[in-house]
Amino acid sequence: MKTKDVEKVVAPQRPHYVGDGFRVHNFIPGIPGMDMQRMDPFIMLDYNSKFHFPPSARPKGVGVHPHRGFETVTIAYKGRIEHGDSSGGGGVIGEGDVQWMTAGAGILHKEFHETNFSKEGGEFQMVQLWVNLPAKDKMTMPKYQGLLKDSIPSHQLENGMGSVEVIAGEYNGVKGGASTFSPLHMYNLKLKAGGNATLSFPAHYNSLLLVIEGRIKVNDQDVVSTDHLALFKNEGEHFSVQAEEDAVVLVLGGEPLNESIAAHGPFVMNTRQEIMQAMEDYNLGKFGYLEG
Amino acid sequence: MRDSTGFIAATFTKYLTDKALVSQQHVLELTEDLVIKEFEKGATVLSEGQICHHVFFVESGLLRLFSIDDDGKEHVLQFAPENWFISDRGSVFFNQPSHFFIDCVEDSRVVLLDQAFFERASNLSPEFRNYNEYLLQNHIRHLQNRIDLLIGAQAEKRYLDFVHLYPDVLMRVPQWMVASYLGITPESLSRVRKELAKRNSK
Repeated sequence: MKTKDVEKVVAPQRPHYVGDGFRVHNFIPGIPGMDMQRMDPFIMLDYNSKFHFPPSARPKGVGVHPHRGFETVTIAYKGRIEHGDSSGGGGVIGEGDVQWMTAGAGILHKEFHETNFSKEGGEFQMVQLWVNLPAKDKMTMPKYQGLLKDSIPSHQLENGMGSVEVIAGEYNGVKGGASTFSPLHMYNLKLKAGGNATLSFPAHYNSLLLVIEGRIKVNDQDVVSTDHLALFKNEGEHFSVQAEEDAVVLVLGGEPLNESIAAHGPFVMNTRQEIMQAMEDYNLGKFGYLEG
Repeated sequence: MRDSTGFIAATFTKYLTDKALVSQQHVLELTEDLVIKEFEKGATVLSEGQICHHVFFVESGLLRLFSIDDDGKEHVLQFAPENWFISDRGSVFFNQPSHFFIDCVEDSRVVLLDQAFFERASNLSPEFRNYNEYLLQNHIRHLQNRIDLLIGAQAEKRYLDFVHLYPDVLMRVPQWMVASYLGITPESLSRVRKELAKRNSK
């Protein structure tokens, strides 16, 4: 078995605001060489690095917007987010929780800082990922999987040096909490300084990691600092992560769907016609209605 | 200034080739010294009282043309996403101070075309001259239609006309801007959308 080498380490770019509540660095598809096709099924990755939001009487966030053709995965590291959608779903996710929303055929939703968090202000840190759906599942019924911190299965590393929390996929026989439409792995790897873990994804999986806290060394050679991302080559399987400081690392590996991608704003489909259809359906109210 | 595709203005170049059917040779001549500007979201491109010297072609992003009334209220006359032209043509052509504002609703990349460009392009390329005339006629047709809708049509009809003309603008701008374009209150727009959803969603 060959080592999976790092292709490049990417620094966070200038942040921009999504709505007024999410101050994010975009990695996918904005970084050259990390477009949707290259990173598939991980077609969007926005990272709100740790940021202190001052108290606000009016919760900051993103107003009503549609999605079709993929899943949104929100991983909260600091702060609390409240969400609501046109199918009547809604709730709050807090530190360590993951919200896995299958937009599928179409949903309207909104996301805001949770009311009390907003009033008090505080540290906010989260990742939002878009996971592509296979063509046959793009029009699946919308659904939610709310994964609370304590319900996420984890594998304890030897000597108490850390854990691998399995959000989706599998690690060392521990299966993740979320069900997915295509094979992928998603972990929060937590390591104490000096701790290390060995991971393995098939060679052809698009694989990456994002350092949420601390500093790590990958394969004993590539140092990846806080808020930096490492993209792996699509060769080899094994890689090791060693923590130079206490670290939290989001690790992703997924089998590319290898289908054509047509994307426009909040819609990711296979053809241009399907995008036009999505816009028309949204404009004509076929996604339902959600009060702003 | 070249964009990520290596072109000075890839969208405008494609527009001249595919829409206006301008020949390759003429496209090269017309695009070699284009002036391109990048604006951040919120930037004002034209203010009331200024003379507008350019027609703006939107390479990427989204601009809007609006006026501000005596009560300080904004009225949106036009949106311009990618591939659209936006300008105060009266100010450009008659060299008069503008009554309007143009600003950027998103970070935008814009080609600045002055009167001299249109004259040069029309002299050089019969295809461009024809297409430019078609655009002006089309613009007049659109404005007449818009006046008709604003005078007489129900909010839903105005809304349906809007989403037909601008399929993706609804999801790119705040609702109040769309309401302003339609000449209705944001509450009326919500009602229209709610009604449509009730009728059209399963």
